[in-house]
Amino acid sequence: MDFRFSEDSLLLASSVREYLTDTHGVDVLRRLDAEGPYDTAIWQGLVDMGLAGLLIPECDGGLGRSLPEAALIAVECGRACLAEPLVDVAFVTVPFLLAKGETGQIADYAAGRLAQPLAHQINPYVVQKADTPIASVDPLRQLAAAGGGASDDPHLLNLGALMAAAQLVGIAEAMLDQAVEYAKIRQQFGQPIGAFQAIKHQLANCAVAIEFARPVLWRAAGALDDGLASAPIHVSHAKLAAGDAAILTAETAHQVHGAMGYTYEVDLHFWMKRAWALQGYWGSRAFHYNRIDSAILGGSHPIGADASFA
Amino acid sequence: MQFQFTPEQEAFRAEVRAWMARHVPKKPLVTLECREGFDQHVVWEKALASGNWGMVTWPREYGGRALDLIQWLIFEEEYFAAGGPNRANQNGIFLLGPTIMEFGSDEQKARFLPPMAAGDVIWAQAWSEPGAGSDMAAIRSTAIRDGDHYVINGQKTWSSRAAFADWGFGIFRTDPASSRHKGLTFILFDLNTPGITRRPIRQLHGETGFAELFFDDVRVPVENCLAGEGQGWNVAMATAGFERGLMLRSPGRFQATAKRLVELYRANADKTSPAAREAVVNAWMRAQAYTYNTYMVAAKIMAGGKIGAEASLNKIFWSELDRDMHRTAMQILGAYAELKHFDDGSVNQWLEGYIFAHSGPIYAGSNEVQRNITAERLLGLPRVGAG
Repeated sequence: MDFRFSEDSLLLASSVREYLTDTHGVDVLRRLDAEGPYDTAIWQGLVDMGLAGLLIPECDGGLGRSLPEAALIAVECGRACLAEPLVDVAFVTVPFLLAKGETGQIADYAAGRLAQPLAHQINPYVVQKADTPIASVDPLRQLAAAGGGASDDPHLLNLGALMAAAQLVGIAEAMLDQAVEYAKIRQQFGQPIGAFQAIKHQLANCAVAIEFARPVLWRAAGALDDGLASAPIHVSHAKLAAGDAAILTAETAHQVHGAMGYTYEVDLHFWMKRAWALQGYWGSRAFHYNRIDSAILGGSHPIGADASFA
Repeated sequence: MQFQFTPEQEAFRAEVRAWMARHVPKKPLVTLECREGFDQHVVWEKALASGNWGMVTWPREYGGRALDLIQWLIFEEEYFAAGGPNRANQNGIFLLGPTIMEFGSDEQKARFLPPMAAGDVIWAQAWSEPGAGSDMAAIRSTAIRDGDHYVINGQKTWSSRAAFADWGFGIFRTDPASSRHKGLTFILFDLNTPGITRRPIRQLHGETGFAELFFDDVRVPVENCLAGEGQGWNVAMATAGFERGLMLRSPGRFQATAKRLVELYRANADKTSPAAREAVVNAWMRAQAYTYNTYMVAAKIMAGGKIGAEASLNKIFWSELDRDMHRTAMQILGAYAELKHFDDGSVNQWLEGYIFAHSGPIYAGSNEVQRNITAERLLGLPRVGAG
């Protein structure tokens, strides 16, 4: 029992974070919003870092990392509000294909030549480049009809939900940071609004929600990596905890920004809209709630003080 | 990242489980907050001590088992899963014990720790005063040096366990010209010293577990001062850190409550609502989240890390979870919820727990104070009144 990431994993995640901070700032989001969300240079940068092959074994040209490490990096993708489909391709589709032994195109995925996420029946559409995209509230998400052949495999769904949860944690953290920075500089009644307890306590509530969503996410990533039969419950728990934390933080951050938050000029809306999108993608709140409800109240999952890691 | 317990940890779990199965009283003890119940709980402390299960995190030399934090979590899980009683010794185990180990002289360690571990001396805390609650630095009670004694005058309040305990600890103003955090000293005192008047405070449930303490020229030997005159604030902050941090409320307690809540729901499923159902499932999720977080913090501390202002997030989380779980139970129980002596105690346990859960968001630093700490120290927002 050692519930923490290795120094090596944390170092990898922080290098991704630095890279995205440097190359994928809000100026880039604004440019993608104007010109269209797909940018081969950004994709190539991610591929050059090895992220397309993060979960592919080293002997097949990948980095051979684990799902918890992928989740750690998916948090960074959420924090950066990344538009490229890295998470759905490299952290969802690829590990699914590997688990199924469908390795025919793995080298193409590792090299970033293939960037096509698999469709799943839980989603009515798929996030990918499209000539005539279905419009999303999120200006950086292009949606296409899923068409025939969408999978109904629960493992694909669990991978997708886990990684959506990871992105939601990163999105929540980014929105909390933005709200805190705004509360420090916006002055009213002769002081920064962040000195008022009415603001402080709302932001503290967001910090609590995020703090207690993160460990649920890591637990779910570990359970799915270890192939536990209970992994779907943990994944659903992570999706609920992360989704609820992100929505709470989105609404709170919006409130803290006051009327400015209602403008397109303030950056917050990119993250807020991604949170709205991911909250329902890879299984709605009701879908994930029901999975936990039936396992806990139905009695199929052991509970109690002596079942911490069941 | 590794989520399996080692064979040694599993063996330890089995050992705790076996001992608890043999020794935890079959019939729930009377509440700790009355004479009869307090005495029952002291008997339980001595039983724990006889099995060397009293102060499991303490070093062996002071009567502990020197458990690491993961073993402690396992111990607590099995303790609560077995329905172990509340600890009369709580103040000693987690507050005063670690404080004496960190700040006390060798003589003080030898004098105070063994009887604490044996359950022979039960300790009360004496922090708050009528004018110093959330704002503890507003303390006014004085301890003025007179030869080899301090002479204490003033008043403490909300002193938990003080109605029936043997000794107390708190901070007093040794420099009457000082203000706020300066000039305070941490002092231990025998509650039966002449000049101390205990006035038990009748609590929400009608019993009298905590008390007001009045000090009227109370003479306490200077060797009862911990860490030196004027160091009281630093010592108290370290103590409050232990309390608010990892050790005040281990996850086992809330997991056990969540499990009882699920069982209560199942037994009453035909008379409840979708909202109650969702509240029950939420209780399980939050208890699990608290558990994972605690294991994460434990791993961090075992690897040499420290717990800082994050402790405030913990305190907010568990105290509000506990209140929410008990409220849900009361709603499921409907008209039965108000009955004080309904059955073998299982319904009554919810009522007692609901009453007690109201104190959680207040003691050990109110949740408003915790939210300020979170906003200022973790998020970096300006301090209250700044600008």
